[in-house]
Amino acid sequence: MSAPTKRHLPLLLGYNKSKASVRGGKKKVEVQLTSMIDMFTILIVFLLESFSADGQIVTLSDALTLPKSRTQTPVNLRLEIQVTNRVIVVDGDPVVAVDADLLSTGNAIPAVVTRLRDHMEYGRRLRGTINEEDTEINIQGDVAVPAILLQRVMASCSEAGYATQSLEVIKLEGGGTGNG
Amino acid sequence: MAKAASGRSRRVHHTENLDLLPVMNLFCCIIPFLLLSASFLQVTIIQMSQTEGIGAAGSGAVANLARSEEDRLQPKVILTDEEMFIGTVAGTAHVCYSFTQSVDGVETLTYDFDSLRTKAEEVYRLLTDAYPMIDFHKVTILTVEETRYDNIVAAIDACAEAGFDQPGLQVAPTASVERATEAAMSR
Repeated sequence: MSAPTKRHLPLLLGYNKSKASVRGGKKKVEVQLTSMIDMFTILIVFLLESFSADGQIVTLSDALTLPKSRTQTPVNLRLEIQVTNRVIVVDGDPVVAVDADLLSTGNAIPAVVTRLRDHMEYGRRLRGTINEEDTEINIQGDVAVPAILLQRVMASCSEAGYATQSLEVIKLEGGGTGNG
Repeated sequence: MAKAASGRSRRVHHTENLDLLPVMNLFCCIIPFLLLSASFLQVTIIQMSQTEGIGAAGSGAVANLARSEEDRLQPKVILTDEEMFIGTVAGTAHVCYSFTQSVDGVETLTYDFDSLRTKAEEVYRLLTDAYPMIDFHKVTILTVEETRYDNIVAAIDACAEAGFDQPGLQVAPTASVERATEAAMSR
């Protein structure tokens, strides 16, 4: 490859550069990082504020919207029931489809009771005993779920032996009540 | 002859440039880590007390409440399609009427929960003045079948702020709730 001719030089060096600057050798270009550091500092303070050492121990389904509450009682990892207007899910498995018949009475739902009893029996066989934590259950309900469905699910939990039932909610900022 | 001061200093000020690149490197490591471990939605729980649904006649609720003195005296928040009440065995008081509001384009029924909180605080004060030996915590939310879950949670929240932080839920057909409310109001 031949050396660039004089005709090519302006193209290589750029038109805006003066001869003096071209001859002057390397010029150190410094990027102004101060404003970026400011932005990062604000971002880090915000992220540290929302930092959770425990991590998210519950999995929220996209199919439901939890109600908001000011309660501050932290959630524990327990068996979960998800209740929407379409289906009742126990521990990730859809158990019952919600229809008009399901909303007609206020008693326990047999299929849910059976599934919950199976789960408790599995835990008892696995550990040889049932402690208090095994009788706790968390209920994730969609905001639009009617009271009768919630009541039927809670009645099913009671009948299956889950005496302590907790409703999962999204914590409102500025909350102050220590429920439970 | 002395030279007049020109006002200009001959000292050349060198401004030291801080090397911010290590700080930037540190930030670039910290920010992804924090973004991954940050929880923007915090899930909490409301622990429910054991209650049972009342039958069609509406008499089961009264029987269930007679377990202890606190159970007997515990207030009830009654949510019907038209209005909200609060009361104890001594009587029932009107809190507010229901109204509709648009949530995500859907008209839903809701209530004035600030009024409920005020009334619940009043009931709590009256109960603790009348029965200083009893530590009141329990409250029952008695609703009709169609009441939305978010209204129940909002009612629980308002009661918890007033001091009743052990909620229970009872659900009954509309007719039996209205009958029970009318009976309590006439006392």
